[in-house]
Amino acid sequence: MNPEKTTVKGACPQDCPDTCAFIYTVENGRLIDVQGDPKHPVTQGRLCTKLNDFAKHHYNPDRLIYPMKRVGPKGAGEFERISWAEALGEIRNRWARIIDEFGSKAIMPCSYLGQEGVLNGLTVGDAFFNRLGSTIAEKTFCGVGREVGTHLTIGPSTGVDPESLIHSRYIVLWAVNTLSTGNHHWPFIAEAKRRGAKIVAIDPLRSRTATQADWHIPIRPGTDAALALGMMNIIISEGLFDRDYVERYTVGFDELAARAAEYPVELVSAITGIPEQDILTLSREYATQAPAVIRLGVAIERSRNGGQASRAINCLPALVGAWRHVGGGYLGLTLSAFAMKWDAMCRPDWIKEDPRVLNLNNLGKVLLETSDPPIKSLMVYNHNPLVQSPDQERIKKGLLREDLFLVVSDLFVTDTAKYADIILPATMQAEQTDLMFSWGHFYWTYNNKAIESPGEAVPNTQLFRLLAETMGFNEPEWRRTDEEMIRDFIDWESPMMQGISFEALQQNGYMRTAVGDKDARAPHAEGNFPTPSGKCEFKSSLAEQGDFVPSPFRAGYEAMQDGSYIDPLPTYIPPFESRDSAPQIAAKYPLNIISPKAHGFLNSQYANEIKQRKRQGDPILIIHPEDARPRGIGNGDTVKVFNDRGAFIGAAILSTDTIRGVVASYLGHWGTDSRAKSAVNSISSDRAANMGRAPTFSDNLVEVAKVDSEAIEALSMGARRAAIAEHA
Amino acid sequence: MPHVVTENCTGCRFTDCVTVCPVSCFHGDDDRVYIDPVACIDCGACVPLCPVAAISEDLNLTDDRLEWIEINADKASALPVVREKQAPFPGAEARRASVAGRA
Ligand code: SF4
Ligand code: SF4
Repeated sequence: MNPEKTTVKGACPQDCPDTCAFIYTVENGRLIDVQGDPKHPVTQGRLCTKLNDFAKHHYNPDRLIYPMKRVGPKGAGEFERISWAEALGEIRNRWARIIDEFGSKAIMPCSYLGQEGVLNGLTVGDAFFNRLGSTIAEKTFCGVGREVGTHLTIGPSTGVDPESLIHSRYIVLWAVNTLSTGNHHWPFIAEAKRRGAKIVAIDPLRSRTATQADWHIPIRPGTDAALALGMMNIIISEGLFDRDYVERYTVGFDELAARAAEYPVELVSAITGIPEQDILTLSREYATQAPAVIRLGVAIERSRNGGQASRAINCLPALVGAWRHVGGGYLGLTLSAFAMKWDAMCRPDWIKEDPRVLNLNNLGKVLLETSDPPIKSLMVYNHNPLVQSPDQERIKKGLLREDLFLVVSDLFVTDTAKYADIILPATMQAEQTDLMFSWGHFYWTYNNKAIESPGEAVPNTQLFRLLAETMGFNEPEWRRTDEEMIRDFIDWESPMMQGISFEALQQNGYMRTAVGDKDARAPHAEGNFPTPSGKCEFKSSLAEQGDFVPSPFRAGYEAMQDGSYIDPLPTYIPPFESRDSAPQIAAKYPLNIISPKAHGFLNSQYANEIKQRKRQGDPILIIHPEDARPRGIGNGDTVKVFNDRGAFIGAAILSTDTIRGVVASYLGHWGTDSRAKSAVNSISSDRAANMGRAPTFSDNLVEVAKVDSEAIEALSMGARRAAIAEHA
Repeated sequence: MPHVVTENCTGCRFTDCVTVCPVSCFHGDDDRVYIDPVACIDCGACVPLCPVAAISEDLNLTDDRLEWIEINADKASALPVVREKQAPFPGAEARRASVAGRA
């Protein structure tokens, strides 16, 4: 027999900065292998431990391949197969009734980036829900706080090219675990190191990345702005700043200098927990070893002062003139190199009069407290809020509401899907078409459909075409093919799209945006910042408008922004919850917790794969030996981590990888897999950081106690009983 | 828990693996290479590059070959990093052919 083997070019769909180029191998219609494309200049043929079994993931026997309806009590996970016609009919009837009685704002979408892509990703349901007149969901799970901080300082700059990092001499990896959450930057960092660069990691935890760095600086969570201000104070007072660059290309230097002077090194050391000498050394080295670059991770935003921390850090490169050099400056989000027509994707022109905006980081509150009208139906896609969102216990209570009509589209019966009334089956990446932008490099990547979808699974684009038809929407937009949509969604005339065509993308698999030569590129060597003044704004003119969320993260809607006060100068305010700022809470719950992304999972994805779970192990709690000892906790003991919001169970790992007073537990484990039926976000508060409505996953106090197995059973039973009692 | 280099490496030393590793995991002596389990990020890039199928993910090892986990850890910590491709040993080509024949 001579099986027919073909290869098809694809792209990783995950919410990861790397957007690896794929080569699918298909044999007799079956996906037998997914490898990296070795020709891609950044991803270079490697994938990661999460995606290495991606072909098999498509055939996971737990895949949802037919629509289903609930047949048991809410949350019991008992479902029965139904036809698409029945599923859509039920959705139409329920939504029509809700709209009649409560108005269309009683329906709300709930989605994020379980799937990336111009077609099936962030914005896929926006046009539909705007047309329907639903409540607008603000989606600020990841990066928006950091981005607003950047935006106010240097504008939506494309930043440093990761391929230019080989020219850097001083690389600060700040709040980022590159080797676990975007490993394709590392070869460029490693090459810089071989050429003599120093690699510094600033992170409360000794991560894989910190272990490989030349210097790990542990910092108390949520205090990064104090460090950045302290660095600026040292750099300015010791005359180490680039006076010429500052004069030509920045505004607000005098005010910044005055603000920074409020942060002498002794104070900064007391706030951050970093020894004074280290702060001095870091500041001096950073200011003098050019080109210096800061790679800032999303974790920077996950505390009360997250936005201002990003603001302060974004001021540093201009202060020392790092932007003058190839490989110098700031590397955050590369997204603005991708010329997308967000309005064509989201259709804000379809938004009805008098809309309502609710933030998804408050999902528990939204489901339990919203009135006039209350949320009567939620549609979840590309998202598993029961693992990913804060304040898990209240979300659970909300999802148990008998009067809530919950529709979930997904690949698997996730923690969230268990609560659904109707489940719809979605396709996996090899079964669909998409064009992927990247937020960690400058290449478009085209995902050609390689195999047919299993059963009756449909791509998200098709899901919303079907829903539009069901709801009687007649616009010609609903009859476009995927390819036609891609053509409509890209600004092909943009200077960034020079030399790029649809056909070439499809054929080559990936193409570089026209951002300039990686070995010569210094985008702000002469200012040219995309800010109102054209300069780096130490004193931000945009701060005046107050806090906001960029429209792609709120279905294209610009108005009704939060608007709360933003200090025009970078500033430090202490976390909501820390020993210093909240002594009363700390008396009960003395430990700060952080919940970094797991090496083996991508958020909650792949946490249902046996191999990934073997690699990642059970939920753990990393605790400093000196915090463990007084609690009688030994290595490997089962511990309960708790506060007033919730609790979860993990195995204690006693390690100096974390600092005293800070415990860590990896995100991603599904609550349903855990003996306590909960995961780390059960303890997270739904408070927002001070910019971009960012979540505050690193700004929570907990207590930790050793438990025996009976107590675990009791905890799990208790949680279930409490939930049932509440809604009986 | 990382990737490991097993018995087939000895006497071969094609070392295409070392050039692709993003974190310079490979350490070696005159005979062969080993993977540093602390640095390895399990990206899997080295596996398909080994012409004699010597590299395996620890989770895929059969019971009788589990010893390689410890051997790699011990040897890697004692030996220098190998980043550049080395000249294969005489006879390596024959081994490649024989492994390909078995596959
Ligand atoms: S998750 Fe990230 S690193 Fe892994 S294959 Fe996808 S894009 Fe690449
Ligand atoms: S799996 Fe990746 S990180 Fe580990 S040794 Fe192989 S190439 Fe290096």
